[in-house]
Amino acid sequence: MKLLRNVPILLVLIAATGGLSCADIASPTRSDLYEWRRIVPTGPGSADTLSFHWPRSRLPVRIWAQDTLSMVADVRSGIDRWEAAFLYGEFEAVVVSDSNTADVVVRAGSAAKGGFSVVRLESALAPECDGGTDFELPAGSTQLTLPIRVFVNPRFDPASPGVAECMALTTTHELGHAIGIFAHSPNTTDIMFGDPTVSSLSNRDRATAEVAYHIEPTLTPGPR
Amino acid sequence: MRAILGLLFVLPASASLLQAQTDYYAGLGVTLGTALVQDRIVEGIEVRQGLAPTLTLGAGLPITPRYRAGLEAALTSSGYHSKENGGETDLGTLRTGSIVLGLDGPIVSTVRWRAGVGLLTYWPSEEQGIFLRGGTTRFLAGAGVDYRRPIMSKWDLMASLRYDFHRFTTGELRARGFGQNQGVQRISAWLGLARGTQ
Repeated sequence: MKLLRNVPILLVLIAATGGLSCADIASPTRSDLYEWRRIVPTGPGSADTLSFHWPRSRLPVRIWAQDTLSMVADVRSGIDRWEAAFLYGEFEAVVVSDSNTADVVVRAGSAAKGGFSVVRLESALAPECDGGTDFELPAGSTQLTLPIRVFVNPRFDPASPGVAECMALTTTHELGHAIGIFAHSPNTTDIMFGDPTVSSLSNRDRATAEVAYHIEPTLTPGPR
Repeated sequence: MRAILGLLFVLPASASLLQAQTDYYAGLGVTLGTALVQDRIVEGIEVRQGLAPTLTLGAGLPITPRYRAGLEAALTSSGYHSKENGGETDLGTLRTGSIVLGLDGPIVSTVRWRAGVGLLTYWPSEEQGIFLRGGTTRFLAGAGVDYRRPIMSKWDLMASLRYDFHRFTTGELRARGFGQNQGVQRISAWLGLARGTQ
């Protein structure tokens, strides 16, 4: 009899707590994006889509930064910003001390390398500095030759007003290319706008990076 | 002055009476929960905490001859991971701490039911991903059953099964535009020792 008297109380409590569990979290739409892939014309009326992201097996991405100006700090800040764009550990990077072991090499100065196999993502940036990211893709290959090379170039004396800020946001912008955003945003409020003026990532930058990392890329990183 | 002296006599007597009636217990076990987050970026993604070793501490005091009121605290620690398309990514370590104020009463002589409400806090090892803006504290409701079997004059072996429910979200998820909260159900089982009146 005792059992019969108490079991209903327990059942009511369990049902009440369990009944609250009907509705679940609702994902954001992530529909406000820009094109991150690079469409390369291959002939009359034909094009090739180049897309890339670092696979989980290659994380953390090793980034070397030239120890000049505030380059190392700018790279660390850029890494933090891009890592924070992701919710599920899709991207992770570390700064390494030896450029020989790096997947991405960041230098101050103008782009020194070029040629047939290099896809250069150049940015016509603020007057104080400019930047570029070189991807070496051998003809007919879908494997990028590492390291990816990033250049950030102060156009004036680095102590001049606005140069440090320009170097910092341009480094974050170029690292955006190095993580796989191969195109520029048409929106001025995005860090991946061709001539960026903002220092942090917008919701659109984050959503674009998230979607880019959940779609099978056409390119893979080569050995290092 | 008389009132103060009276209190000085009554309080220790009450305290020792309460101490004599208080029931203490502690146990070790495991907790398993449903998904913390269900998202969709091209494919479905789920974040889940792994099977978590659990330490439970509790105390109860009789409020009627049949029922007791009590406080129960539980700590868990385990890895958490995201799952997408069959692949898993380790996201670090996640600790939880809960405190529940509840009631318990008899079902049969050795088995008692328990139900209560409280708070549950998540402490991630690193502020990143869904915990980029730090941990979170949520309301919790739960119920369970305790089985006790005397093994010494003052000590009982205690086996417990718990179910609890809370709604999960974090500051980062809200900032990213996630709507509503995820209903999370957890089950824990533990074995321990209890001292005091049954």
